[in-house]
Amino acid sequence: MLEMRNISKNFEAVQALNHAHLKVEKGEIMALLGSNGSGKSTLVKVLSGLVNPTGGEIYIDGEAVQIKSSADARKHGIAVAYQDFSLIPKMSVIDNIMLTLSPCKKNGQIDEKKSREMAEYYLNELQIDVSPDAPVELLMPSTQSMIEIAKALAMKPRILILDEATASLHADEVEIVFSVLKKLKAEGTSIIIVTHRMSEIFRICDGCTILKSGETVAEGNVNQLDLDEIVFHMTGKYPDKEIGKQETKEKNHHLQLLLDVKDMAMPPKLKNVNFQAYQGEIVGIGGLDGQGQSEFIRVILGDHNYTAGKMIYQGKEIRYKQAADAVSDEIGFISGDRGRESIFPLRSVAENLFAGNTARGKLFAYLSPKEIDSFAKSAMQKYGVVAGGLRHPANSLSGGNQQKLVVGRWIALSPKLLLLDDPTKGVDINSRREIHRILRECTERGMSIIYVSSDNEELLEIADRIYIFYEGQISALLAGDDRREEKLVAAMLGIHQKQEEKGKQDDESKN
Amino acid sequence: MNKNKVYYFVKNNQIGMALLLSLLIFVVTIALNPKSLNVNAFGSILSLMSMLTIAAAGQTLVIIADGIDMSVGATMSMAAIVTVGILRGREDPMLFVIAILAAIGVGAIIGLCNGLGAVKAGLPPMVVTLYISNVVNRLQYVMTGGTPEFTSVSLIYKSFMTERLFQVFPVISFFALGMYALIFWLMNRTRYGQQIFLIGNNNRAAQLTGIRTTRLKVINYMMAGILSGIAGFIGAGNSGYIKCGAFDGMTIDTIVAVVIGGTLLAGGKGSYAGTAAGALLLIVLSNGLAVLSVSPSMKNLIMGVILIILLGVYNRAKPVRA
Repeated sequence: MLEMRNISKNFEAVQALNHAHLKVEKGEIMALLGSNGSGKSTLVKVLSGLVNPTGGEIYIDGEAVQIKSSADARKHGIAVAYQDFSLIPKMSVIDNIMLTLSPCKKNGQIDEKKSREMAEYYLNELQIDVSPDAPVELLMPSTQSMIEIAKALAMKPRILILDEATASLHADEVEIVFSVLKKLKAEGTSIIIVTHRMSEIFRICDGCTILKSGETVAEGNVNQLDLDEIVFHMTGKYPDKEIGKQETKEKNHHLQLLLDVKDMAMPPKLKNVNFQAYQGEIVGIGGLDGQGQSEFIRVILGDHNYTAGKMIYQGKEIRYKQAADAVSDEIGFISGDRGRESIFPLRSVAENLFAGNTARGKLFAYLSPKEIDSFAKSAMQKYGVVAGGLRHPANSLSGGNQQKLVVGRWIALSPKLLLLDDPTKGVDINSRREIHRILRECTERGMSIIYVSSDNEELLEIADRIYIFYEGQISALLAGDDRREEKLVAAMLGIHQKQEEKGKQDDESKN
Repeated sequence: MNKNKVYYFVKNNQIGMALLLSLLIFVVTIALNPKSLNVNAFGSILSLMSMLTIAAAGQTLVIIADGIDMSVGATMSMAAIVTVGILRGREDPMLFVIAILAAIGVGAIIGLCNGLGAVKAGLPPMVVTLYISNVVNRLQYVMTGGTPEFTSVSLIYKSFMTERLFQVFPVISFFALGMYALIFWLMNRTRYGQQIFLIGNNNRAAQLTGIRTTRLKVINYMMAGILSGIAGFIGAGNSGYIKCGAFDGMTIDTIVAVVIGGTLLAGGKGSYAGTAAGALLLIVLSNGLAVLSVSPSMKNLIMGVILIILLGVYNRAKPVRA
C-alpha cells in the first residue's frame, strides 16, 4: 500500500532523517516508535507534505508519488491527526471538521444542512458529546483531540496517520478511537500510529517500526517484540548498562531544603505534585513532551497560577503573581525556546547578558553603558560564555552561543535557584558540554538547579535526582543507583504509576 | 566592494541617510528656486523641525516599546488650549508655572488612559489611542464651546519662543536640545530605557527575565503623554493662533519622523537622534514642496509615497533566528 524508501532530511546541520524507511500494507495498523527527536514527526510530515525530503522515494500502491504540499497528500488519500492541533480555535466544531470538505450547492454556496449532517455523523461515530456549534477553543483538550481525529476521518483517507493524537485522551476515549480504527482497518484503510503509550501498541497494532536518530533501526510484527526489546531499540542501550554511574554524593539529607512543593495542582495540566529541591543539587525533571513539566517550572516562577497546594521557598510560604516577584527572590529562569522566551535578538550581546540585572534596581537611577559592558565582559571571561563582540546584536550569534548568552545572563547574577526548561534544545554537543560544566561549577558554590530536559541521556548525566512527569503527575523519583535509562523510560511511559521508593529493588529492570 | 559599502550604508544607517536626503532635497530646492536660500528660511526650517522633534519625543518612547500613540496631536492641542486658557494673555511668572503643571497633568491623564487601555486591557494600541484622541479632541470643543476665549499667549511669551538668536536660531531649538538631553538620558542612561528596549524587542522574554512589563508599559504611555503635554505648552508659545485641535495633524508627522529615523515600528530598536533626523527630512521636504508652490494635495501625495518607500526599505521586521 504505502512504502517510503531511503527518506532523508537535513535541517541545516541537523540530520532529522537518514535513509529511513517505512512500509505499511493495506488494512494494517503500524506503530511508529522512537524517542524524542528520533525523526518520527519529520517522517509523518514528509507524508503529509509539510516537509519536503532531501532524498528518497515514496510509493503508493506501487507507484512513485511526489508529495510536495498538504494538497498533494490529500489527493493521495493521506490524512493526519496531529497532537498539536491543526484546529482553528475560534471556529465551530462543524466548521473545523468540514474545513475544505463542505459540500456545495449548485450556486457555490456551502450546503449548511448537508455539512451539518456529515459532521454529526463523525461526531456520533466517535461518540463526541459536544454542541456542533461550539467554538473549539472552549472545549477540553481531550475533546479537541477527538475532534482533530474526527477531522482526519472526515477526509475518508486511505492512509490515516495519528501523530500522538491519543496523547491527551482519556482511557474511555481511547477505547472509542480504537474501535473506530478496527472498523477502518476492516474496510482496508492503512493506519500509522505514533504514540508513546506502549500498552496501546500491543493492543491495537499489527506492525511496528522503530526510528532512532533518523534511521529505521527495527521493523517487525508486534507479537514478536516485547517491551524491553522496544525500549532497547529506541534507546540503543542494553537495559543492564548503567549510565548514571558516577557517584552521587549522599548529601541530600545534610543539606538545607530550599524549595518544597506540596500537593500542587493546576488543572488540567498538573495534579498532586510533590517536589523538593535541596541546596546545591541539580534536580532533573524528565518525561515525554507535554506531561506538565514546563507548566510546573513556570508555576514555580509565578508565570502560571496554581489552584491548590503550597510552595515553601527558603522556609517561607510563597505565592508569586508574576515572574518579576520570583526574580526579586533570587530565582532565575532559562528557557530552551530562545526565540520566544529568552533572547533579545536586536539588542547587543552586552545588553542581553545584562538583562537579568536590568530587571532589578531603581528605574530612573543612573546606569552607564560602561557598567553594562564591564558586567558583560567579566561574565564572558569568567564563564567563556560567548563568542563575538559586545556590541554585536544577539541574532548575529549561532544558536549555541545565543543559548550560552542566556545561561550567562543568569549565572553571572548567581541566583539561589535556577530553573531551566530544556536549555540545550537544538544546541550542538560542544555548547551543551560547556553549559553543563558551567552549571556544575555553580552548584559547587551553593546554587540549586532544577533542570527540565527531554533528553534522557542528558538528565542521567547531569542530575542528582530525577523526577519523572507523566500526565501531570510525578510517576517516579530516581536517585542514586536508580538513575538508569530503562527505569527512566519505563516511568516516562507511565508503566510504574506509583512513585518508587528510593533504593527499592525493581525486578523488571534486572532482565 | 564599493557597491556593497553603499548598500550597507543605505540599508543600515538610517540617520545618515535621512541627513543626506535632507541635504539633497535642500540643494535641489535652492537650485530650482535660488531665492529660497536665505537666513529666514534656515530659521523657519529649524523652528519647524524643533517643534516636530519635541512633539515626537513621546512617540519615540512608545514605538520603541512596541506600541503606538495616535493621541500625540490631540494631547498637544488640549495642553495648548489649557495653557492659553490659564494664561489669558497675562504675564505673571506664577501663572506660567501653573500652566506648565496643568499641561503636564493633562498629558499624564491622557497617557494613563492610553496605557490602561492598550496595556492593562490589552486592546490594540492603534485603536485605543485613536479613540482616546477623538474623545480628547471633542472635549476641547465641549470645554470651549468651539471657539476658545483666548487664542494666543501674551506677546512676550510668544516672541520669547520665536525670537531668533543671531537671526538663525529660534529659542524653541534650544528647548529641542533640552528635550534631546532628557530623552537621551532616559533612553540610554537609565534602567527604564534599557527595559523599554528589551520589552519592545521581546516582551515575553522581558517578562520571564523579571521585568514588570505591564507596569512599565503603562508608565511609558504616561511618560509619552506628559512629553506631549509639554510639547503642547511649548507649541502654545510657538504658534500665534491656538484653536481646538490646533496640533491634531502632528500625530502622523511624529510617526513619520520616528520611522524615517530608523526606529522599528515593531519595537526594540531606535533612537531619538534618528527621530530628529527624520523630523529634519520631513520639514525640508515639506519646505521644498512649499517653495516650489506645489498644491497642498500634491504635497500630501508626494509625502505619502515617500513615506511608503522609506517604510518598505527600512521597516520590515527581520525574522528571528531560531
